[in-house]
Amino acid sequence: MSNSSKSALECRNVTVKFGDVTALSEVSASFAPGQIHAVVGQNGAGKTTFARVAAGLVQPTSGAVNVMGQDIRTGQVSESRAAGVELVHQSFAMPPSFTVAETMEFGATGKGGVFSRRGLIEKWRAHLAGLDVQVDLNRRIRDLPIETQQGIEIARALVTDARVLILDEPTAVLSPAGIDMLFARVRRLKERGVTVILILHKIREVLGIADTVTVLRGGRKVEGPLPVAEVSGERLANLIVGEAVAKTLDRQDRDALVGTKAPAHEDADQQAHASGPAILSMKAISTKPDSGGIALDGVDLEIRPGEIVGIAGVEGNGQKTLVRAISALADLEGGTIDLSGHDVTRQPLAMRRKIGLRIIPFERNVEGLSLTSSLWQNWSARELLQGSLLKGIRPAAIREACDRSLKAWSVHYNNSGQRAGSLSGGNAQKVILAREIDPDAKLIIAAQPTRGLDIGATAFVWQALRQARDRGAAILLISSDLDELFDISDRVVVMLSGRLNGEFHAPFDIGLVGAAMTGAAAGASA
Amino acid sequence: MKDSLITVVRSLIFVIFALILCALVFQLAGYNAPVLLWAVLDGAFLRSGAIEQSLRWALPLFITAVGVGISFRAGFFNIGAQGQFYVGAICAAFAAEAVKGGPAFLVIPTLLLAGMLGGALWALWPGLLRLRSGTDEVITTLMGNFMAGLLLVYVTSGPLKDPSGSGQQASSRPLDPAYRISDSLGLSPTIIVIAVVVGILMWLLVNRTAFGVLASLAGRNGTMVEWQGARLWKLGLSSFLVSGALAGLAGTIEFMGPNGRIASGFLPAHGFTAILIALVANLSVLGTAVAAVFFGGLASAALYLPIMAGLPSAAIDIINAAIALFITARSTFIDRVLRLGGRKT
Repeated sequence: MSNSSKSALECRNVTVKFGDVTALSEVSASFAPGQIHAVVGQNGAGKTTFARVAAGLVQPTSGAVNVMGQDIRTGQVSESRAAGVELVHQSFAMPPSFTVAETMEFGATGKGGVFSRRGLIEKWRAHLAGLDVQVDLNRRIRDLPIETQQGIEIARALVTDARVLILDEPTAVLSPAGIDMLFARVRRLKERGVTVILILHKIREVLGIADTVTVLRGGRKVEGPLPVAEVSGERLANLIVGEAVAKTLDRQDRDALVGTKAPAHEDADQQAHASGPAILSMKAISTKPDSGGIALDGVDLEIRPGEIVGIAGVEGNGQKTLVRAISALADLEGGTIDLSGHDVTRQPLAMRRKIGLRIIPFERNVEGLSLTSSLWQNWSARELLQGSLLKGIRPAAIREACDRSLKAWSVHYNNSGQRAGSLSGGNAQKVILAREIDPDAKLIIAAQPTRGLDIGATAFVWQALRQARDRGAAILLISSDLDELFDISDRVVVMLSGRLNGEFHAPFDIGLVGAAMTGAAAGASA
Repeated sequence: MKDSLITVVRSLIFVIFALILCALVFQLAGYNAPVLLWAVLDGAFLRSGAIEQSLRWALPLFITAVGVGISFRAGFFNIGAQGQFYVGAICAAFAAEAVKGGPAFLVIPTLLLAGMLGGALWALWPGLLRLRSGTDEVITTLMGNFMAGLLLVYVTSGPLKDPSGSGQQASSRPLDPAYRISDSLGLSPTIIVIAVVVGILMWLLVNRTAFGVLASLAGRNGTMVEWQGARLWKLGLSSFLVSGALAGLAGTIEFMGPNGRIASGFLPAHGFTAILIALVANLSVLGTAVAAVFFGGLASAALYLPIMAGLPSAAIDIINAAIALFITARSTFIDRVLRLGGRKT
């Protein structure tokens, strides 16, 4: 153990168990003051749990947390705050209808009392300006771009003069330009003497910003904190993935999975896949604002058999509405949708599914599965809906077919009668794949299909999509992870404010795609 | 099969909890709890003729409760069984006037059908309101119960009024004995056959059709089924209609069987007991049969206690209430304590 009195934050033998699940196991790490530290690992490695222990949100089963040489009481947010540790969550927790000034006042102190609008603005203007957050304090949170929201979250965390600031996956929601802004902000915090701990999962970002890196895998610390200068991207990739899994991965996939370098797609025969008339053809599709998000505004999109088209974009730019429009769940205002040569503009989803539409929806646990229903019921829903409602079924036969299918998709489960909610995220997603990717699938919508999955499961999903593509299916992949998009897409289309803003072919240029995502260079490189 | 067995056993645990609580209340109220509980058991199942009497109550309750289970499974909290039961009986009574004098083998099925249509009608409008404009079906079906109750008062003291009635309770003209499906004791082969057929058909619907699986998925997660391309309103409305039709059928059986007429405010707790039965059975059809016999036994004991044992029939209300309490608590507190399995893989 290093000298604890010199650490800004030190965890000693921290173990966290949630029921039977061990989220963290004997993790010890000490972070030097005034530096930028990265904590990396794949989904499920325990990164977020680690952050939450440090912030006092999770009571560890055993172990100690030490801030600036003082052991603090664990599992108490107030203790961690008093010691100067602040956490900015992955999903922001600001009331969307509050103005910036109100958010600062009530989010920071949590106290009530009499206030005037002008007084609040005066009070917080200097603080925000000092942290380089340029914003009108009268605007409401919901109207602000995501980068600014994040800036306000950070400013809010620093109100109490935090000495250790933990940012949980701050880059996940940002465009490449937004990430650059964030990193600049983090560097300035370092200059002010704040110790910053960044939870990240892309090596590229670690190497670009951090002074040290700590790797978690399966709830254990594998290595670190290591000085970033002494560790190669290659080594880091293997530490994150684990030697055993690394061997099974295609090199390009592995690099995409851990974000080793600026992503580029180097699949020589990628143009050879697409052939024949379009399977999906959307012409000038506009919708009303939808429960899933903003309206579509004149979207033209064609996907041909044997092609994976990736949709890039900062979340909330109409991706959900696009999926809902193709699935007949959004209200169209104009335009036409053809599926396999049939005009389905006015056809319900059941009809579109009959033609070969398959959907891996955004929300696995809400739209994809009924968690309290059995696996076989979840698995059979698509086929049961093809026939008449009063058609007789033999559950035993369905369960056998379900067993065969789930085994073929290497789902780990006990029996097909168990609840879908008892599966891990990766296994649950495989159940959806088993249902949605069948020989009759012509157009497969894969909406954030790997979100929250560990590396093995992610590679599995990619493989499944590629195989379906190679069989001649058309695939629409929506993802907020550019590495993922660039690795497996044949073509990438960027969405911005409900429109398509540029189309890109391999080799992909992250700069150009990133610019299109923020509208910096509309329509560039079409 | 194994699942529904576990369910019944689990529910039994709750019933035992409820009985323990009741024993405590009885004891505190100055009764000898073991004697009282024994009398309940005696009145329900042991004394001669008790089983017949219990089945007389159990069969109509079973039919209504199976229907309640169908709508609950689909995620619709149709608590309007009582109203659907009344409207079914009213429609059958009107139909009886209309086809008076016809041959029994035609009239009897016609009346049964009319009752089912009436019950389905009384489920249709809350179903449509819920599915077309999102109106909470708990409110509408509950209001429907009161409306049906008042409708019953109106028809028994108006259009269908029996002029020779005693005046104590308004009631309709009696049904021609040729069309009765049981005597006033209320158990007959016809009623048994109807209940068995309903049981088999509903078991098949729930366990052996696509509808059963999809409705159950829709009840647990409507969004997921929508993303599969199902039309939720179709699943929901048909579940509503089936449950209404079955409550209406039960009302018709009471009218054509033991009662032989409809009277204002008759069997006012039928629908609510049926809901309780469906919940105790955890919505399984087989479980509903078992639970219906149990509650039928309690109903039979309620009549027996004051007359034969000199004990208050309110004891049965207390037992019912205690069971309702424990069954409602099951889904939250107690179930968490008793939870079996549920491991992550």
